[in-house]
Amino acid sequence: MIRKILLGYDGSASANKALDFALQLARTCASELHVLAVARPPEFGDEVETKAVIENSRRHYEQVIGGVRAKLANETLTTRFDVVIGHPAEQLVRYAESNGIDHIVVGHRGQTLFERWLIGSVARQVIAYAPCAVTVVRHRPP
Amino acid sequence: MTEIWTQAALWLALALIATLAAIWLRIATALSEIVVGTIAQLIIGAALGSALLAGDASWLKFLAGAGAILLTFLAGAELDPVVFRQQWKRATLIGLVSFAAPFLGCAAIALWGLGWTPQASWLAGLAMSTTSVAVVYAVMLEFGLNTTEYGKVVLAACFVTDLATVIGLGVIFAPFTIKTLIFLGVGAVAFVVLPWLTPRFFRRYGNRPSELEAKFLMLCLFGLGALATWADSEAVLPAYLIGMVLAGTVGKNHALIRRLRTLTFGLLTPFYFIRAGSLVSLPALVAAPAAFVILLATKMVTKIAGVYPVTRAMGSPRQEAAYTTLLMSTGLTFGTISALFGLSHQIITQAQYSALVAAVIGSAVVPTLIANAFFLPRHLLGAAEQDSSRVPDTPAEEPARRTSS
Repeated sequence: MIRKILLGYDGSASANKALDFALQLARTCASELHVLAVARPPEFGDEVETKAVIENSRRHYEQVIGGVRAKLANETLTTRFDVVIGHPAEQLVRYAESNGIDHIVVGHRGQTLFERWLIGSVARQVIAYAPCAVTVVRHRPP
Repeated sequence: MTEIWTQAALWLALALIATLAAIWLRIATALSEIVVGTIAQLIIGAALGSALLAGDASWLKFLAGAGAILLTFLAGAELDPVVFRQQWKRATLIGLVSFAAPFLGCAAIALWGLGWTPQASWLAGLAMSTTSVAVVYAVMLEFGLNTTEYGKVVLAACFVTDLATVIGLGVIFAPFTIKTLIFLGVGAVAFVVLPWLTPRFFRRYGNRPSELEAKFLMLCLFGLGALATWADSEAVLPAYLIGMVLAGTVGKNHALIRRLRTLTFGLLTPFYFIRAGSLVSLPALVAAPAAFVILLATKMVTKIAGVYPVTRAMGSPRQEAAYTTLLMSTGLTFGTISALFGLSHQIITQAQYSALVAAVIGSAVVPTLIANAFFLPRHLLGAAEQDSSRVPDTPAEEPARRTSS
């Protein structure tokens, strides 16, 4: 029984594909849909700039989440929207644990080689550490 | 003027390259600018002569110095004065431990281990004592600890650590003369008057396209900076203090802070950090890398030895205490400022400066890598295993870190 679905959303094309999938799943299972955006500070930060990046990133994701909120306004589903700060995979797993999420849906998109070396793919980390089932939705550009 | 515009264009091209690299690599722009400055000096200096970058030109020194002053002011203005007043005793204790352990440890290693002069050793201790408040702030947000008493104390403590560093920089190397007394007297008056005067002045004449606020703040910063250097002290000392005393008023004006950040990051700090990088001698660093490694290791060990027991004593879980403590070992801005102060005042040699800046860069990278490799996200699994029966269906904890729901 899938009662609560968590969607990791960043506004990218793959995240939009993941949104469509999560929405369909939530309708089918009559589940709650939680949409989480993660504003991310620089990997190696510094004074002042880190706070500025967090503020900018937070504002950006609040706009991004606002778009999803508007899109889901006419849905009868129970929805919840959050913007948090940190590493995306860590925050998704943390949120899933503390909210009793039954299923996580994330998009998958290419990252730079450096990011892969440094932290690995977000989707891969979520799969490794999630307390529940995970669906990774791939976006293939036309 | 053609020569100046050409040099300015070259430096801004380097700044642009550094910014793009920072975006691609998801690292702080300051870090990228230092590295780009070092590499550019090596390549351009070898190919076309070191005069082309002209890091000692007076106009460039002014832009770089103004960048350091404004950046320090903005760092001080991030203080939360209400929290600091509430938690100042514990924050001061942790902050001073966080300062003193690496300061004394690195100074001792430099003096007895590396054979540096006493003055150079004190400078090394100062450069390695810093903590990046912003990095710890980001960690607190990640853990949702920014609204807890523990998080507030640790954040306030980081300001105390950096304050101790800038006071050390302004006091240790300055001879105590009548000039020092005049500087301290005028500074004390300014720090009392400014929090009263500034908000009233801004309310009466501010919010106009003429940017009166920026002019007024820069007048105060440059004026007290001039007084500090006249007294053989350091201009970033009054800048940080002005930032702290205005944090409750100017610091809350987000629009003004954003405009000041634009000026600082867009024009001034690239000159500061690229210049700091261009003064690093890679050949000297490669010839004697031990100093860099030893200083970095000493900073991390002493910081952890000093801060970790205190955070544990305050009831922080082991994993989070370790993560927080590791990230308190980071510190790029004030470390670079201290090292450049030492070089420009001939307290340290270029080889010592190169080792110090490399250690400072290492302190911005290595603790974060270790913290992420060993504590992210594995600590969550540990927490989940220990607490697997905990409230799976209740609303999310740590609501303060959420911005919408």
